[in-house]
Amino acid sequence: MSVDVTAEQKDASGGRLRDTKGSSRRHSPGKIGAYLLLSALALFALIPFSWLLLAAFDSDASISVKVPKAWTLGNFTNLFANEDGVRLMVNSLIYAGGATIILVVVTTLAGYALSRYDFPGRRALMLGILLTRAIPPTATIAPLYVIATDLGFLNTYHGVVLILAAIEAPLALWTMKGFFDAVPREIEEAAWVDGANRLQAAFRVVLPLAGPGVGAGALIAFIGAWNEFLIPLVLISDQDKIPISIGLFRAWVSYTQVDWGFLAALSIVYVIPAVVFYIFATARTTGFTRGGTCRDLTRPGSATTSGKTRRPAMRQTLLFERVSRWSVSSGFDNLLECGSARTVVSLTLDVPHQRSSP
Amino acid sequence: MRRVDGWRDTLTVMAFLAPALILIGLFLVWPALWALYQSFTNKALTGLTAMNPSFVGIDNYTRLLADGDFFASLLRTVAFVFFSAIVGQTLFAFLIAYLMANRPGWKLRAVPVFAVIFVLPLAVPETVAALTWASMVNGTESGFINRIIGVFGAGPIQWLQDYAMETVTIVNIWRGLSFAMVLFIAALEGVPRDVLEAAMVDGASAWQQLRWVTIPILRPQILTFLMLTTITTFGIFGLVYFLTRGGPGNATEIVGIYIYNQAFQFFEIGYGSAAGVLLLAILLGLGTYYVRLMRDQV
Repeated sequence: MSVDVTAEQKDASGGRLRDTKGSSRRHSPGKIGAYLLLSALALFALIPFSWLLLAAFDSDASISVKVPKAWTLGNFTNLFANEDGVRLMVNSLIYAGGATIILVVVTTLAGYALSRYDFPGRRALMLGILLTRAIPPTATIAPLYVIATDLGFLNTYHGVVLILAAIEAPLALWTMKGFFDAVPREIEEAAWVDGANRLQAAFRVVLPLAGPGVGAGALIAFIGAWNEFLIPLVLISDQDKIPISIGLFRAWVSYTQVDWGFLAALSIVYVIPAVVFYIFATARTTGFTRGGTCRDLTRPGSATTSGKTRRPAMRQTLLFERVSRWSVSSGFDNLLECGSARTVVSLTLDVPHQRSSP
Repeated sequence: MRRVDGWRDTLTVMAFLAPALILIGLFLVWPALWALYQSFTNKALTGLTAMNPSFVGIDNYTRLLADGDFFASLLRTVAFVFFSAIVGQTLFAFLIAYLMANRPGWKLRAVPVFAVIFVLPLAVPETVAALTWASMVNGTESGFINRIIGVFGAGPIQWLQDYAMETVTIVNIWRGLSFAMVLFIAALEGVPRDVLEAAMVDGASAWQQLRWVTIPILRPQILTFLMLTTITTFGIFGLVYFLTRGGPGNATEIVGIYIYNQAFQFFEIGYGSAAGVLLLAILLGLGTYYVRLMRDQV
């Protein structure tokens, strides 16, 4: 195994060396133009945030972009001292956290079943679940409201939590299934041979190995629920139960008496979880696409997929230790590089799907 | 993969699948079916017909098809999707990505650094994106964009009044463009080098390489992205609603906002459902094609 890895790493670095040689003309006009275009696009992407960053630290903020005359942290202290501000954050945490917990439980169970059992209609079920991704709450909001009313879900935490979980479920289910697919079956079979029954093997062996993947799936679901606007807009009218998104909207609609500094500070707090996650995930997508983290897992005829190696147990344990160590230490490598898990990212971050290389 | 064998296996699988399927069934599939049912009634949000809606046949649909506002909002949405999702986020993003992506004899080292910046517009929640743009396009003289055009002597423009739909479209392009670029760059760099080099050796021009090598290889990725972004853009609500609430008049009333207004401003649940069913029909059509693209991955 170790020999394989070094060979692959050598290969990879050799490729990189060739790349550098290939781009010997480093300051050609074409490149300068390309960097100018990139910089212009980066400005286009960044400038709208200037208001957010300036107004949040301005003691006399307005809707216009201006450099504060007096810089202050007062907007943030207001936010945390103010009962309404704290309540908004707590509510958002309840909705997103609750939805995430429910999702992790139900999609872990279902993802495992879809990954490990074959039954008539399994494929159709997977595709059907994928198709429900095309149903946005926008189209079904009217009946959803009626159903929520009938179930007594209006102005309740649990109602919104369940509906948010349902909206995130199709994607999360595919994610979980992908991660379970990436756990080599042989590890589980070894546990059966050692006398564990199916459930024991699933919970004690497979679940811990798929752990980082489950974590990533949970994070994706959390961000989705955290950002949701339409569902709480329709279902929650009680001022004490609105999440940050609706709080921002209500403050914004009361145009004349807006505390802009407060609004900007709240927006910054609201943005943090999503931005941290996306930057992290993007750094992985772009920086490591050509790395070989666990390409051997997906390569047809390789040790794990063929399952016909000399010392399967040892090989796979080594391989998997490597994969899971990586995914723990650097988060999304596993998610980005492992076979069907790559599909998951394509779905999640709308990354165009890349077929595993031959 | 193990075949389900015997009642114990069947029971296990059913128990494992049930919670997720109930959740999806109850809050995604059932509302869609319920929308279809309600669209044949005159159900209202309040009043007598809220409790006892009666069947009105296809009245809602004939009314929708005769409703100029609905048609206008559908056309607006199609234009919104065309310019922001198809032209902006797919075509334009792909072209820029093609210029940027590493290929034999061309390597931009700083692309990953830019990628982190490019992801920000999509990373922030739609409400925050709308709020920051509200500041950008603020109609007073001190509005950011107005100050820039003021340098060139142009007067302050009421962007969200006079150019509302254009502004909203640009905001949506802003939200998706740069991230789409990052994804396309990743996809383009996945095109095998030897194939491109072979094409170069055979004397293919840059355009011929793009047209006959790169695009055919990336066709599945491009189509998948196109489908997803089209479906998502058809379903947009928050970004536009936050900025304009469909106004001024109904200048930015895309289908999502139309449905919301019918159901929750005019309290016509049945009529709003019928509009929702038409939107669903479009999306499920697109969705079926998307599922076909993904079929080989199950």
